[in-house]
Amino acid sequence: MPPLLPDFSNSVKLKYVKLGYHYLVDHFLTLTFIPVMVGIVVEIVRLGPDELLNIWNSVHFDLIQVLCSSFLAIFIATVYFMSKPRCIYLVDYACYKPPVTCRVPFATFMEHSRLILSNNPKSVEFQMRILERSGLGEETCLPPAIHYIPPKPTMEAARGEAEVVIFSAMDSLFEKTGLKPKDIDILIVNCSLFSPTPSLSAMVINKYKLRSNIKSFNLSGMGCSAGLISIDLARDLLQVHPNSNAVVVSTEIITPNYYQGKERAMLLPNCLFRMGGAAILLSNRRSERRRAKYRLVHVVRTHKGADDKAYRCVFEEEDREGKVGINLSKDLMAIAGEALKSNITTIGPLVLPGSEQLLFLLTLIGRKIFNPKWKPYIPDFKMAFEHFCIHAGGRAVIDELQKNLQLSAEHVEASRMTLHRFGNTSSSSLWYEMNYIESKGRMKKGDRIWQIAFGSGFKCNSAVWKCNCTIKTPTGGPWDDCIDQYPVHIPEVVKL
Amino acid sequence: MVPASLEIPVSGHRFSSVVPAKVTGGNKDFELTNMDLAMKLHYIKGVYFFQSEAAQGLSVHDLKVPMFECLEHYYTVSGRIRRSETGRPFIKCNDGGVRIIEARCNQTVDEWLATARDKDHSLDHMLAYDQVLGPDLGFSPLAFVQFTWFECGGISVGLSWAHVLGDAFSASEFLNAWAQIMAEEQLSSKVNDRVLKSEFPAFVSGKPFSLKKVDPVGDRWITANDSRTVTHSFHITGKQLHHYMTDKISDFEIISAIIWQSMSKVRIDLGPKTVTICSNNRLVRGDELAAQPVNGMTLSTVKADFCVSKVEIAELAKLIADRKVPENGLIEDLLSGDEEKSDFIVYGANLTFVNLEGADLYGLQLKGLKPVFVNYMINGVGDEGTCLIVPSNEKDGGNGKIVTMTLPEDQIEKLKSILENDWNISN
Repeated sequence: MPPLLPDFSNSVKLKYVKLGYHYLVDHFLTLTFIPVMVGIVVEIVRLGPDELLNIWNSVHFDLIQVLCSSFLAIFIATVYFMSKPRCIYLVDYACYKPPVTCRVPFATFMEHSRLILSNNPKSVEFQMRILERSGLGEETCLPPAIHYIPPKPTMEAARGEAEVVIFSAMDSLFEKTGLKPKDIDILIVNCSLFSPTPSLSAMVINKYKLRSNIKSFNLSGMGCSAGLISIDLARDLLQVHPNSNAVVVSTEIITPNYYQGKERAMLLPNCLFRMGGAAILLSNRRSERRRAKYRLVHVVRTHKGADDKAYRCVFEEEDREGKVGINLSKDLMAIAGEALKSNITTIGPLVLPGSEQLLFLLTLIGRKIFNPKWKPYIPDFKMAFEHFCIHAGGRAVIDELQKNLQLSAEHVEASRMTLHRFGNTSSSSLWYEMNYIESKGRMKKGDRIWQIAFGSGFKCNSAVWKCNCTIKTPTGGPWDDCIDQYPVHIPEVVKL
Repeated sequence: MVPASLEIPVSGHRFSSVVPAKVTGGNKDFELTNMDLAMKLHYIKGVYFFQSEAAQGLSVHDLKVPMFECLEHYYTVSGRIRRSETGRPFIKCNDGGVRIIEARCNQTVDEWLATARDKDHSLDHMLAYDQVLGPDLGFSPLAFVQFTWFECGGISVGLSWAHVLGDAFSASEFLNAWAQIMAEEQLSSKVNDRVLKSEFPAFVSGKPFSLKKVDPVGDRWITANDSRTVTHSFHITGKQLHHYMTDKISDFEIISAIIWQSMSKVRIDLGPKTVTICSNNRLVRGDELAAQPVNGMTLSTVKADFCVSKVEIAELAKLIADRKVPENGLIEDLLSGDEEKSDFIVYGANLTFVNLEGADLYGLQLKGLKPVFVNYMINGVGDEGTCLIVPSNEKDGGNGKIVTMTLPEDQIEKLKSILENDWNISN
């Protein structure tokens, strides 16, 4: 059929043109280097061995000159190696798998809501609509104190939850890596909404009898992106302390933060946040190079807190009845989009191949000088990364990012399935997603992974990892018993 | 100082839910049979008492954890009632779960049982939740389990079970399965095929006498009584029964005869002339456990065309044994036809005798120890009254029975005195 064929051939031609362009620009240096080398070799061959020997003899080498040059070379090499940042390896990590006794099906959640909010049918109706569209599944878990009608959030129950989640993850990490508690040099725990005294990091030190000269940190209040902030902190510490192990524990304790009022904007977190936690072992020891799963390449942090709207968009406050909850503003998605743009602008030059950067630059110049109406060029991040771990903050977040970054369904599969199976586990969700990709057998040596997390403040943080060795399944993670059932199709609306 | 009589003995109630360990999934819909719907206005309550040795070291967590696995097998118990487009109720297996209640009692187990023996067992209802399905029908749990801790360290397990789910045998099997899982014994996962149509063809045509139509109840599945009903339990020893036993007549028939005759002396109209017998054909076998609950009882009526108060007990018992007319087929026909949407009661439509002799009530063991006492009651009983005959525990030499009567208040006192005087049967 004549009309179709030209289009087809056009698009094929276009595809090859694009491929050619990318190959040309990305391998520019190699492509210029090769002709130069060829030229030199040809010249050498042409000159012949005798001529070469003559040239060699005519160059006078003074002893001092030789010594100075070699010292200079050694000096430059030493300075280079000393100032090169240490390689940070992610040896392994472990995610907490909640027991079946914590399971909360939709029906139970809604029934409890109806009983607790019996005087507010509109709030109940709202929660039902949120749950139907949330993208969560029937196996997400809440801590035992929240299973009561009404919930019984005591400090003891919160500590209990923290102990169960953190210690399980740590035990699992010890088992997987063979790490001894006495070998932990740096400990960073991040949990946004539960900050007791003594801190959760002190709780870990007490339980495992860690060394008295351990460098411990407890990050609280930093939201769902705190996991990557902890990784960044660990990286900086590992630059300063040679030959060290750092353990990062990311979790969110649900028990004390279950909103007991009726304001709709504050009921949303109840529907989405679920139990979860992860423990990660980072190291700068060269001996770990062989068995480490990943190498940390970049961490990019973007903070939009200077903007008032961004600062207030996720805000913990009291409602009219004095009940404390987290207020999510209506422009959350717009602010998240802005924060993402900021982050991409910084991370783009670090990870994108030269061809994409050039295109972006040219389009930018074109828009500024020639015609502002040109569509902004969105760099194709699929060329820079094989895997994407988008914080499973909610269905809307994943949809938004998929649209903005033009990702396919397979790229966001890890995020969607983690949201379905585990809910929004806050800072640890990135690690569940990573484990999903590993459990599916998709993680190969050399793969690059981009972890993106959003959090209150408003922050957008990214981490880039490179896979060090192909990861075998099963991984001993939380997906082991159910990975075969995934991916599942998540309907737009689940009828309760 | 609150007088002891006004103090509420059971308090500190905490409510939570237990759900199946695995997702039932596939949004399974469980069809309810006509027999299930005939029984929907009734509720079964069972209370099991354990001494402190059985409950020592058991936390509420230890009691809840096996329930998750148990509900994996009994996923219908975790479901909720929904109505189809035709308005017919069915169970949606949505993992809503079973409601668990934790409570404390300020008496010891022995004190409670002693009070109960002296007065009546009417306080036992405090140890199991007073369940009614509705008005929020789609969000009402079908079963409640209440754990009550006593001062001595003993514990009672109170099951509230909607009869629409299954009969008392099914209720008892469900709890036994839970205890088996707690003791880490293997549960066989045999799922029986539910009999959707009654096995009994209608030999006789016409309306069944064992059912009574009541005013429409809408979405609140309980019927109102004309007068206040009270529950009282009597103890009949094996020796007392032995006197009347013959080959062809069972203990159940003898007891039913005794009660029927006593009731005819209580009531001014010398009635009732018709009684309903509720028995169960299923034998309790080890491998029947973990089957889905069913309403597998046989409802029959017995008509007496002579004066009940004047005959010999043996003769009355023989009448019950030989001349009962099964009505399952009639019930089935009635509910498949015009009366599909009507509401009925069975227990208390006539004076009803429920035979729970074969139920393995003392098979529910905690830490290998049997309960010291088990009592079953029925809620939502009609004005004619109901009599449950339940096996007693073996302390008194076996074969004793507990007879739990639910009757209008004014009839209970008279019945008590007649039983005491004529039959030497007391609490």
